Amino acid sequence: MADTRSIWEKLGFRKASGVGEAGWGHTLFAAIISLIYFLPVLIIILTSFKLQTEALAVPPKLLPTTLFGLIPEQYVFSPTLENFTSVFSRAYVAGGAAESTGFDRFFFNSIFIASTSVLLALVIGTLAAYGFSRYALKGNDTYLFIILTTRMLPAIVVIIPVILMFRISGLSGSYLGIILLYTAFNLPFTIWMMKSFFDELSPDVEDAARLDGSSEIKVFRKICLPQVLAGLAATFVFGLILTWNEFLFALLLTGVDTRTVPVAMNQAVGGGGIGVLWGLLAAIETLFLIPVFLVTFFLQDHLLRGVTFGTVKR
Amino acid sequence: MASSNNKPPAVSLDNVSKAYGRVRALKNLSFSVGEGQFFALFGPSSVGKTTTLRMISGLVIPDEGRVALHGADVTHAPIKSRGVSMVFQSFALYPHLTVYENFAYPLREAKVGSAEIDKRVKETASMLKLGHRLERKPNTLSGGEQQRVALGRSLIRRPNILLLDEPLTNLDAKLRHDMRAELKRLHRQFGMTIIYATPDELEALSMGEEIAVMRDGAVVQKGTPDELYERPIDTYVAAKIGAPHINLLQATVAENGQSLKTGFGSFALGRKLGAKAGDKVFMGVRPADLEIASPQSADLSAPVQLLEPLGDVTVVSLGEKSDNLRIVLPESRASEIKLGDRLPIKIDTHKIHVFSAADGLALR
Repeated sequence: MADTRSIWEKLGFRKASGVGEAGWGHTLFAAIISLIYFLPVLIIILTSFKLQTEALAVPPKLLPTTLFGLIPEQYVFSPTLENFTSVFSRAYVAGGAAESTGFDRFFFNSIFIASTSVLLALVIGTLAAYGFSRYALKGNDTYLFIILTTRMLPAIVVIIPVILMFRISGLSGSYLGIILLYTAFNLPFTIWMMKSFFDELSPDVEDAARLDGSSEIKVFRKICLPQVLAGLAATFVFGLILTWNEFLFALLLTGVDTRTVPVAMNQAVGGGGIGVLWGLLAAIETLFLIPVFLVTFFLQDHLLRGVTFGTVKR
Repeated sequence: MASSNNKPPAVSLDNVSKAYGRVRALKNLSFSVGEGQFFALFGPSSVGKTTTLRMISGLVIPDEGRVALHGADVTHAPIKSRGVSMVFQSFALYPHLTVYENFAYPLREAKVGSAEIDKRVKETASMLKLGHRLERKPNTLSGGEQQRVALGRSLIRRPNILLLDEPLTNLDAKLRHDMRAELKRLHRQFGMTIIYATPDELEALSMGEEIAVMRDGAVVQKGTPDELYERPIDTYVAAKIGAPHINLLQATVAENGQSLKTGFGSFALGRKLGAKAGDKVFMGVRPADLEIASPQSADLSAPVQLLEPLGDVTVVSLGEKSDNLRIVLPESRASEIKLGDRLPIKIDTHKIHVFSAADGLALR
């Protein structure tokens, strides 16, 4: 019998008939792509364990191990945790006593500000999105467009009026100010994203619940919300990453006490006139990656459906 | 009203109108359904059947008119107080809940105790043969099973009135047949009032004790299947009820007012029509009321234009030009007939329907 398989199938690719059934060809392909994307992150993580001299070494020190003699000694560095300790406390003057860098505070600030504003935006945005999706009021499309336009201007364009408003209202440097700003920034995205999820739900299901005796609030809480969990998860993660990485507004609108990690990072590694402290920078970045990584990891089941807007069925 | 007792009708709609924006979904719709009746609401899609059901359930409030249940005005009453439940065309199961929780939902909302809930859920599940599916999510069930879950969820709180919105449309032919019998059985068992919306005339005729035929958001005629078949109020009802469809021939009233001139010749009706001589009318005659006769006793003869074998019977179309007559013949007779053969036909003149050509209304 003639081999009717296509060239791709012979190479190990095959039509996946379900999740987890990709051939080794696809798997290898995916692994290579993943590696390319992950390489910068890997370099950051490895660099965080290097001393400054090793970080700048030519030829580069690649790995902390010889991999049983596979890699020549000159490419191997000896890992150290020094960078991580100096994230939180180090001597600013050579030979001086170690002082706290305040980074514990900055990490707390980042986590507190990002999670509060994203959750706040999620609560407000989800309610608004449900309203937009379910109640066809006059001018809904116009409102939705106006909401979207707030995201059309680059941050740098609106920064001056925002700074002035913060000055006048006394919000500069306060948690409240930056949280409100980030919430406002996350809202358009949250509303649009959640609206698309609510739009996909069958209104009949909600009517069925009404006939079964549920009030409007219960219909929303017990019928609609559980169906858009994937959307909530995806929106939360997207918003979190956006807020977590935000630099410009944080630079100009946070004070010493409310400074977030991206701003503090910039100030920590740039000073001193001895060039960028690459090991220290990498250590901060590595620590900075962990919270977002954890959140994404725990929400990954929901994310697949969330980021594909429901086109991939569970 | 068909029911002879003095109880108020289970459902009565009185001159109800509803518009969605500029689209008028219902226009002065009125009908009533007797207590415990299996009532069919029949009409093509987007005729207003769903809106009518939603209005009875309370999901839609009419712009004008009055909705009464068991004699009490509920036009603006909250959904919860009506004791109405509904099976949606799309089934509308709660996708995030198991079959068990889908069944339990209406009871939980009614604050029924958990022991009682468990008992009723299991009862309902076994009645609908879903006992082995209770822990599954709806999207893992077959269409027929989903349909039964939807039905069970509506029945579990023992409604007085059950609304079924094209419940069989999304099922395949075999399942549809089984479910029709199942629905009849449930109706006998529980005796609640059922209003069954369907675009399928066979479903309407076979299931409805009474049928309301809808057109453009209003009821054209209400009656038992026999009444609708024997005395259709207009060409619309005549054409909708009965398969194969009724023959409608263009005709003119003759001078004596008692016979019709058609492309197939003149036919004496043996009764006086409420129409003037020369009026344009439609002559309606059901395929089943035509038969092949001997050439001497035939009322007309016409050539065979088309043969449509349907298994045990064949639909034969006769005629030369645009006018044609369909007649139903048993397969044994039809097998001898060839295209172009002239068939002598006898018409049962008592069964001839006459409709005005101007407004389509029946002339009696």
